Amino acid sequence: MAEVKINSVTKLFGDVKAVDDFSIVIRDGEFVSILGPSGCGKTTMLRMIAGFERADAGEIYIGSDLVSSAVRKLFIPPEKRKIGMVFQSYAVWPHMSVFDNVAYPLKIKQLSKRDIKEKTNTVLEMVHLGGYSQRLPSQLSGGQQQRVALARALVAEPDLLLLDEPLSNLDAKLRESMRFELKELQKKLNVTVIYVTHDQSEAMAMSDRIVVMNSGRIQQIGFPMEIYDTPVNRIIAEFIGLVNIIDAHVRQGQVTIPDLGLNLPAQQDFEGKAVVEIRPEHITLSRDQTANIQGIIIHKFYLGDSIDWRIQVNDIVVRVIDRSSSFKEYTIGDKVGLQIQNILLFPA
Amino acid sequence: MDTKWIIIFLSISVLVIFTVVPMLYLIFRSCVVEGVVDFSTYRDVYRNSVNWTAFINTFYISIIVTFLSVVISFPLAWLVGRTNLPGKYFFRTTFITSYMIPPYVGAIAWTQLLSPNAGYLNEWLVHIFALSTAPFNIYSMGGLIWCLTIFHSPFAFITISRALEKMDPSLEEASRIAGASPLRTLWKVTLPLMFPSILAGGVLVFIGVGSAFGIPAIIGMPGQIEVLTTRIVTYVYMGTGKGIRDATALAVSLMISANLILYVSTMLLSRKDYVTIGGKSTRPVLVELGFWKWPLTFLISLYGLVAIILPIGSIIVTSMIKSLSRPITIDNLTIANWLTAIGNQQYMDPLWNSFLAASITATCATGIALFIAYLLVKTGVSGRSIPDGLATLGGATPSIVIALALIITFSGEFGLNLYSTMTILIVGYMVKYLTMAVRTIAASLNQIHSSLEEAALNSGASWLQSLRDIMLPLIGPSIVAGWFLVFMPSFYELTMSIILYGSGTKTIGVLLYELQTYADPQDASVLAVIILVIILVSNVILRKVSKGAIGI
Repeated sequence: MAEVKINSVTKLFGDVKAVDDFSIVIRDGEFVSILGPSGCGKTTMLRMIAGFERADAGEIYIGSDLVSSAVRKLFIPPEKRKIGMVFQSYAVWPHMSVFDNVAYPLKIKQLSKRDIKEKTNTVLEMVHLGGYSQRLPSQLSGGQQQRVALARALVAEPDLLLLDEPLSNLDAKLRESMRFELKELQKKLNVTVIYVTHDQSEAMAMSDRIVVMNSGRIQQIGFPMEIYDTPVNRIIAEFIGLVNIIDAHVRQGQVTIPDLGLNLPAQQDFEGKAVVEIRPEHITLSRDQTANIQGIIIHKFYLGDSIDWRIQVNDIVVRVIDRSSSFKEYTIGDKVGLQIQNILLFPA
Repeated sequence: MDTKWIIIFLSISVLVIFTVVPMLYLIFRSCVVEGVVDFSTYRDVYRNSVNWTAFINTFYISIIVTFLSVVISFPLAWLVGRTNLPGKYFFRTTFITSYMIPPYVGAIAWTQLLSPNAGYLNEWLVHIFALSTAPFNIYSMGGLIWCLTIFHSPFAFITISRALEKMDPSLEEASRIAGASPLRTLWKVTLPLMFPSILAGGVLVFIGVGSAFGIPAIIGMPGQIEVLTTRIVTYVYMGTGKGIRDATALAVSLMISANLILYVSTMLLSRKDYVTIGGKSTRPVLVELGFWKWPLTFLISLYGLVAIILPIGSIIVTSMIKSLSRPITIDNLTIANWLTAIGNQQYMDPLWNSFLAASITATCATGIALFIAYLLVKTGVSGRSIPDGLATLGGATPSIVIALALIITFSGEFGLNLYSTMTILIVGYMVKYLTMAVRTIAASLNQIHSSLEEAALNSGASWLQSLRDIMLPLIGPSIVAGWFLVFMPSFYELTMSIILYGSGTKTIGVLLYELQTYADPQDASVLAVIILVIILVSNVILRKVSKGAIGI
């Protein structure tokens, strides 16, 4: 069983709470991403799970083993936890061959030479580095070194695999293909994965669930669709995907958006100053002069698979990303009508 | 408790017991008599005009030598590093070579060259210019300053050279593009930016000269010139309680002066925050010397010849002369002297003692240095720079002060009597030279990303296994380099050895000093050649191992 339970873990650096009251239960075989901007505490949390930092409060269970407890003053050092980890810099040892790098955890466990050879070669095949066992890291590309790191993390058949922004040093195409490979590997081995990243499309593409963090605190835990369509606060909405941020006001169950000239029933039960956030892809353009919102096109950017429009509506500029209309359909200066599919409402 | 912390704690304890305690006890003994704070020892000692003069001399000489060293080293470093001077590698090697020669060997060489009556160089000059008397007398203030400058300026040269190498060339290039001539650039841009490293190099020279014993003893004393170190040794040799007390007062004066200078310069240096290290490794555009190229090359070659080649040549020649009364010709030279020396037990014993002591020192120092460097670089513990600071303090303390402190602390006062044993020699060397190993290993550790070690822990290795399998192979060369950097100076050390040795532990430095002082210069030269060869070989190994990064 490689369920991971993190209970109210907090980490302080001086007075700063790098991680504040972090709690989650991760199921066996689940792929969970911790997503957030730089400095949000995600790497610190990962390092606490690995054992490279000590929690100041809270407890961590890996499987049925309690590996860290502040109140019970219990701390299992990293070498005794059954975890595989891929570091952001790969940390492939330059003085050892690919084979020796990957075999190292098995050597520590003192398996027989034959077992070591067999398991190491198996895992090297799995990451498509079958013929590379005698090469030195300096003879490998970045992507290949990363696979070595991955192979080493998996060779001892750990219950839990931790990955710290493993794809950030790769080029875009390689990143995409590695995402797919990692996911395939995880499903095949059925290993629980905790994946730290600041790249939201990566997190959304690969995860069963996403934990969004900011300033040390968990903002939301949910399925990718939940995080994207129903973010619980501004921070998440603005970090994931694009949004138009427009001032608004809520009074007696009605939200007023002066810049758009709209007055709608509010589905949130707070009063006072608010913001309305609309994703650019949730707005469509038309020549309909009777639409509620009218605007004038002031910019258009051709992106290949879509068009990025800037529309002047009253005193504000609204960004619209439209896949349905073509570039030549409207020109700068045209009057257009805006149709909005989905509005997110948050207190200001 | 964690193995890691136990080992680190032990390393620090050794350091504290042998560095901090003796120093503090020395200060204590100098100003506390029978439980009462009493500075009478200082008063008495300095009332003696010889001592007071020695104190003044020490400062006077240090200042002048520092000034001369910097004035020589900076232009040399600039010419060798930034211009199209021919034979750069050769010149650089030559200047740094004088750092390799034990100072007292250099002193011996210069007495052979410029002794007032029989010096080779004097005789040659009298002959060439038909003079009535020899023009130079080495046994003078001028001679002392000359010798000290030649053998201590490399410290300044090396410091300034390295800083110049690291300096971002685009800073100077910007000045040239703006229209400034190379000379103006040198004066307005390079020199001001180099000021911190010039200061640092100067401080190294100043403290080194103030702490020097070999050269002042061999050249100054026959000329009735004394400095603090020679006075201290004289007092210790008296063998009396009062002698030791007087020596203590002088030693503490020296120590406080050295530490003060170091402190002040550190303060000055930390304020000037010049970030001149360039990120891109572009090579600087060399300044064309034009008309000045060959005159300067000639001058520098002359300096190289006079400063380094001449003394070494003199030593070699003297070691091979059959009879000193006859002129230097091929048939007056033989290697028979060398063979006799090698077969002579009286010479080989001290050689072996030095070799053994230096090896043990180097090995222990490297081990301790590894843990001190690890503590400094790889842990986040508060106070982690203290052991490194202690090692540095040991390195900056004048050798004679260390030796005296060890004598009075470990002559039975605290239950441990190490006097005249090899142990006390090893302890002295280690206190002085530990910092060389720490610096080297720390620099190497700095370049190893922490994730390499973490990956090992994550793979299940214990801290010791990770150290053995991952860290040591990667920093191996620096450990060997550190070993040699401690071995070499310990091997030929004189200043400490001269008051710490016992009948069974005479070292090669002491033997050489005795031979020179009791007028057996030929045997002294033979031994000097042997020492030079050993150092040369060590240096070659050092260069090989560190792939040219360290060593000359």
